[in-house]
Amino acid sequence: MENQGFFSFLGDNLQQFLGYTGFASFTTGHMVMILIGLVFLFLAITKDWEPMLLVPIGFGIIIGNIPFLEGLSVGVYEEGSVMNILYQGVRLGFYPPLIFLGIGAMTDFSALISNPKLMLIGAAAQFGIFGAYGLSLLFGFPANEAGAIGIIGGADGPTAIFLSGRLAPDLMGAIAVSAYSYMALVPVIQPPIMRLFTTKKERVIRMRPPRVVSQREKIIFPIVGFLLTAFVVPSGIPLLGMLFFGNLLKESGVTRRLAETARGPLIDIVTILIGLTVGASTQADKFLQLNSIKIFLLGALSFVIATTAGVLFVKFFNLFLKEGNKINPLIGNAGVSAVPDSARVSNNVGLEYDKKNFLLMHAMGPNVAGVIGSAVAAGILLGFLS
Amino acid sequence: MRNRLYILLLTGGLLFVGGQAVAQSQGDMRINEVLVVNTDDYEDDFGHKHGWIELFNKSRGTVDIGGCYISNDRRDLKKYRIPKGDVLTKIKPRQHVVLWADNMPLRGTFHVNFTLQETNVLYLTSSNGRDIIDSLKFPVGEGPFDVMDYEVSNKGAAVKMVGAIPRYPLENVSYGRLMDGENVGGANGWAFLTKTTPSSNNVILNSEAAAQRFKEFDPYGLIMALTAMSVVFFALLMLFIIFKNIGKAAIRSGRNRAKKAGLSSVEAAAVVSEAVPGEIYAAVATAIHLYMQEDDVHDLENTILTIHKVTRSYSPWSSKIYGLREIPRKK
Repeated sequence: MENQGFFSFLGDNLQQFLGYTGFASFTTGHMVMILIGLVFLFLAITKDWEPMLLVPIGFGIIIGNIPFLEGLSVGVYEEGSVMNILYQGVRLGFYPPLIFLGIGAMTDFSALISNPKLMLIGAAAQFGIFGAYGLSLLFGFPANEAGAIGIIGGADGPTAIFLSGRLAPDLMGAIAVSAYSYMALVPVIQPPIMRLFTTKKERVIRMRPPRVVSQREKIIFPIVGFLLTAFVVPSGIPLLGMLFFGNLLKESGVTRRLAETARGPLIDIVTILIGLTVGASTQADKFLQLNSIKIFLLGALSFVIATTAGVLFVKFFNLFLKEGNKINPLIGNAGVSAVPDSARVSNNVGLEYDKKNFLLMHAMGPNVAGVIGSAVAAGILLGFLS
Repeated sequence: MRNRLYILLLTGGLLFVGGQAVAQSQGDMRINEVLVVNTDDYEDDFGHKHGWIELFNKSRGTVDIGGCYISNDRRDLKKYRIPKGDVLTKIKPRQHVVLWADNMPLRGTFHVNFTLQETNVLYLTSSNGRDIIDSLKFPVGEGPFDVMDYEVSNKGAAVKMVGAIPRYPLENVSYGRLMDGENVGGANGWAFLTKTTPSSNNVILNSEAAAQRFKEFDPYGLIMALTAMSVVFFALLMLFIIFKNIGKAAIRSGRNRAKKAGLSSVEAAAVVSEAVPGEIYAAVATAIHLYMQEDDVHDLENTILTIHKVTRSYSPWSSKIYGLREIPRKK
């Protein structure tokens, strides 16, 4: 009798325990999402595609898609859970400005300061954002969601998270994953477009080497840059302020330790947290929807539009420049702010046609201008649509 | 001495600005709506109906109104001091608080010691008792007075007259701002409201209106693209113009410095561009390469590990004899 009681007690408990395991509420959606996470890890580890981002996001997707019974305070959307606390940086939008601080502290704006006309290429590439905005409206998204989707074309993960957190929090997971995926795919997406819109003659244009910029100019740049852009678009203050502040820490020459922390441990910590929590926020029921597929499609189109606009703008700009001052249109793609990947693409494609024409330094100009341009564009969208 | 004076002035300036900033937060409070005669309206916690005053925090930060004064007498601005230390006096951003004008201050923080029927003026004064944050003079006497309200549609909101009242005060008709905290529309932004809204927005607007309206007016995103791209180009064009000129100035000043140092024009150009010929880079790189190739500086270990004796020179700072942990001895 006692034994029977003990076994029934054990059985009940085992049954209860099985109810708590992930297997009990495992669905096809969870399996698909875990597979997506594994694909991300595979691409990051074996193909070396943006491993710093795709490893945390990929593992985050796996974390977020282990089924559990609600009420255990473990889910990313359950108030008070550890994952939820870490997720607040994404939800409230304080991780992206911290990443911008690090980007500012590691970015050398010399190429841009020595050849300021390259800034305009960074502006032209923002067409990708507004092209994708228009297409999103045609796809039936409301204006605020269209703005959040459009920012994928800025090729700037932190900006995409920042803006979608404010304009369309429900779509943030899909937008962030899409933005980071296409940033990793920059070497695949951009070269065919660059070749399509340039002639052989244009691809071998040699640009004048940039002059060496004095430290005084480098110090003035973040101060003037911030004052000007923030006064034009105050809604971009969190991103622009941190970007230029980080750069001032780097260039002032008197805050070496702060700059090293911002571009080293701080950005690493925030990258881990943002990647992991964004990944974890893409839960099957929220992510596996028709809208996510539309967002991925629009994201791809936005990259195509941005690259095309950048390349065509350089060709147009060249019409007004004297011989010897012309810009190689292969750096037009670098206006999307995927730093430094898109600049590296410019360099590699350039080297295919002229083994001695190194475009990297020139491409870094529009590349960092693209960071400023996308932050300004995000500020405009926020100002208009929030 | 002069430096100290500068530091003193700077500190004073910062403190002044800081002080202003503190004052500014209370300065964001506004008298938002008043109901003079309440017979069938909002009830207090005791189940009684009295006249009420609604204050509104128009800022995006929390404001503590503890210590502020409210009065219905210009000569006695400190008539009722809102008690400090009550958590409820911390008014969240864009939120309201209702004060009961029942002349029963012993009923709690939000019950003031006067009624609205005594006078037709109200003063909200900062905690220093001098600076008037906001004041209101509501109309009284025979009317007719227009009753205004917002007409809200999917195209936005517009102020319109919805009727008239014969006199004021009139039971259960409040006098409030048409837009919370702002002086927009109507008579200086105020109107008689037949639908009172204590502790709530005087007009409820759809927060999605901006995005929705944008889509209505710009279904293909062309206006957005044009406007936003113009702004992006403008911002970066300004940066381009400024740094183009800064660059020119830097080159000019470099040339001047070189000239003063007595360098030739070719040397001066080299100084300005600070350009180092490629041959020099090649020579330096070759030298480093050759140096690294030499046997005596290679970085391969000879696989023999030797434990060297480490000697430490004596210092009173590391001495245990003089250690800080030594117990003091009585002499």
